[in-house]
Amino acid sequence: MRTDVMSGAGLAIYAEIALVLFAAAFLAIVVWIWLPRNATMWERASRLPLDDSHPQAPRDRVVEH
Amino acid sequence: MTARLDTFTYDDDIVRKFLVATFVWGFIGMLVGLIIAIQLGVPSLNLAPYLTFGRLRPLHTNAVIFAFAGNAFFLGAYYSTQRLLKARMFSDALSRFHFWGWQAIIVAAAITLPMGFTQAKEYAELEWPIDLAIAVVWVAFAINFFGTIARRRERHLYVAIWFYIASIITVAILHIFNNLSIPAGLFKSYSIYAGVQDAFMQWWYGHNAVAFFLTTPFLGLMYYFMPKAADRPVFSYKLSILHFWTLVFLYIWAGPHHLHYTALPDWASTFGMVFSVMLWMPSWGGMVNGLLTLRGAWHKVTNDPILKFFVVGVTAYGMSTFEGPMLSIKSVNALAHYTDWIIAHVHTGALGWNGFITFGMIYWLLPRVFQTKAVYSTKAMELHFWIATFGILLYVTAIYSAGITQGLMWRAFDETGRLAFPDFVETTLRLMPMYWVRVVGGTMYLVGMGLFGWNIFKTWQMRPARYEEPQIQAAPLSPVYEGHETPQPAGAFARFVSAGWHRRWERLPVTFTVMTTVAVVVASLFEILPTFLVKSNIPTIASVQPYTPLELAGRDIYIREGCFNCHSQMIRPFRHETERYGDYSKPGESVYDHPFLWGSRRIGPDLARQGGKYPDLWHVRHMNDPKEIVQQSIMPAYPHLLTAALDFDGIQRRVDAMAMLGVPYGDAVKNGQAPGMARAQAREIAARVLAAGGPDGLEDKEIMAVVAYLQRLGTDLRRDVAATGGN
Repeated sequence: MRTDVMSGAGLAIYAEIALVLFAAAFLAIVVWIWLPRNATMWERASRLPLDDSHPQAPRDRVVEH
Repeated sequence: MTARLDTFTYDDDIVRKFLVATFVWGFIGMLVGLIIAIQLGVPSLNLAPYLTFGRLRPLHTNAVIFAFAGNAFFLGAYYSTQRLLKARMFSDALSRFHFWGWQAIIVAAAITLPMGFTQAKEYAELEWPIDLAIAVVWVAFAINFFGTIARRRERHLYVAIWFYIASIITVAILHIFNNLSIPAGLFKSYSIYAGVQDAFMQWWYGHNAVAFFLTTPFLGLMYYFMPKAADRPVFSYKLSILHFWTLVFLYIWAGPHHLHYTALPDWASTFGMVFSVMLWMPSWGGMVNGLLTLRGAWHKVTNDPILKFFVVGVTAYGMSTFEGPMLSIKSVNALAHYTDWIIAHVHTGALGWNGFITFGMIYWLLPRVFQTKAVYSTKAMELHFWIATFGILLYVTAIYSAGITQGLMWRAFDETGRLAFPDFVETTLRLMPMYWVRVVGGTMYLVGMGLFGWNIFKTWQMRPARYEEPQIQAAPLSPVYEGHETPQPAGAFARFVSAGWHRRWERLPVTFTVMTTVAVVVASLFEILPTFLVKSNIPTIASVQPYTPLELAGRDIYIREGCFNCHSQMIRPFRHETERYGDYSKPGESVYDHPFLWGSRRIGPDLARQGGKYPDLWHVRHMNDPKEIVQQSIMPAYPHLLTAALDFDGIQRRVDAMAMLGVPYGDAVKNGQAPGMARAQAREIAARVLAAGGPDGLEDKEIMAVVAYLQRLGTDLRRDVAATGGN
């Protein structure tokens, strides 16, 4: 019964829509990774493991005047 | 202008705890592996009932995956997360609960698996009470981890943390959905899925357990500890992010490649193959990224055994992730499936990738967490590296050869068109020399583990009387993000391209986690749902009936003894398989199989059409002592089945649980009739055995149930529908 209803419900199209959305999201991520403007962010991030004790970006922090 | 600084310490005590546990369970898990490897060559070492291959093999796999690799992931995650986030773990109490809870689960596994309590699903064997405990401990870990993220003092989540997040979320989803079952007693349950659907769920789980328990956590560790050990940042951070998202998008779809040429619908297995082949790219991108991290530092590798471990570990990642997609190609899989090739593949990954990353990481950590000047013995580290490397090479070359040899023998025909090796045992015996080479390789690896343990112990002895707790200072994050490199551009498209959205995701770990979860869950749903919902995928067969109460009890004994570890029940549609075993398996045949028992390795022959092949007495004698029937058999003997009384009264509860799952047992079976029906069927079989000259007094023994089950296997297709009243 359940399988009869589901088989006839024509849900296949949603799988295709999802595939397109997933591919688009993935492409957006690829573009974002290689945008030149983000290069400094990656450069900074890549050094995070090498610094166990010091904050890396004072500008991100609460500053008391 | 002065920054307000928080002062805090890192919790390294929890790292030390997990470190010791990693070694202890790793050694035990690998020792059990060595024992079962020897059992294949010397079957008399199977000490029934508790210490047979069928019961110990899940103990080996679970110990190595969840106890060794699991504790290694936790120790690395606790060390690196605190430092990457500039925060102590959210709750020390949760950290300890996680540690002791996880160790208690491992002990429970080590006790229950040899006792035969198993769900019969690979790497998900543990029974439901332990599954619940795993869920609770995992949630505690997740709360602790996400709580730490919420309190962090570093805006950007380093890519290692992303890998940890994906692992924690996905493992939770996999664990819960694959283990859904109906209990039929404290240590017995039936999977809510049956047959094809259960197989599909299991290998969605099984494949992604490899992906999200053995791959992504260790990639997180690699991206943190390799730069630490090499003292330089990862080769390309961009590539590491691409690596992450590609794995999250692709891995979850690849599971069906474990079920090529089975009764799984063809579209699903093709789908799994395509996604598996696509995985080549991110996996090799990741490997290259790891190796190139050592650019300009290769001279250090000559002198530093820690870097050597990392180099071989990452190379093993590349080798096994090249091989995985290759094995998922159907024509390759046709040869490799059910053979030792898969075992070799797994060990390249586990011994090379998980093992060596763990060794490198722990050696690097030893002086830091035990606060000594150095690891006690560099020479012992060096020796460990070489002995373990050669151990792996011996192990895998032997077992690759074994797999290909047996695969080719199974499919060989002679010039008259008949099977060249019709006697299955011949194909197993041909592997014996290779099995002994494996024992040598495995022993070398284990000796390396011994050196590892000795070095840990000696380094621990050099610890200070009291561990220092360095005070760390870092400013808390401001509630609003202040640090844009450039002002936000105007216009929706420009803002999208500037990808402030992704930066916001990372700053909001909840949103980031949700997006990762969506990628995993949606992919899973689109893959899994059609098997459940589209009728044409599993054509029903009118003559397929539920197991009788006695057969069901026999099936449970088959599961208890772990027979599925060596015997498949899935004949593939190849001539060499149908010649050897009979008609190929149909999806409709296993609709009442909670859980499915298709198996993944044939150390013995397939049993899908075993029913009626031999007389009842043959099975009684064969189970009592296989060598009495097949002189060269390497199957363990199960004499206790002929003496242990069958729990007839417990059968009703099992039948009721099956009925709850929708197996159409009629009212006669439901209303407390099951034990009586089982007794009657057992008496019939006992009478036949006695008449054939077999032993007397078997009618209330477990062997009757096993014989009933084995004689039923695969016979439904031959059943006359009209005569049995089937519809």
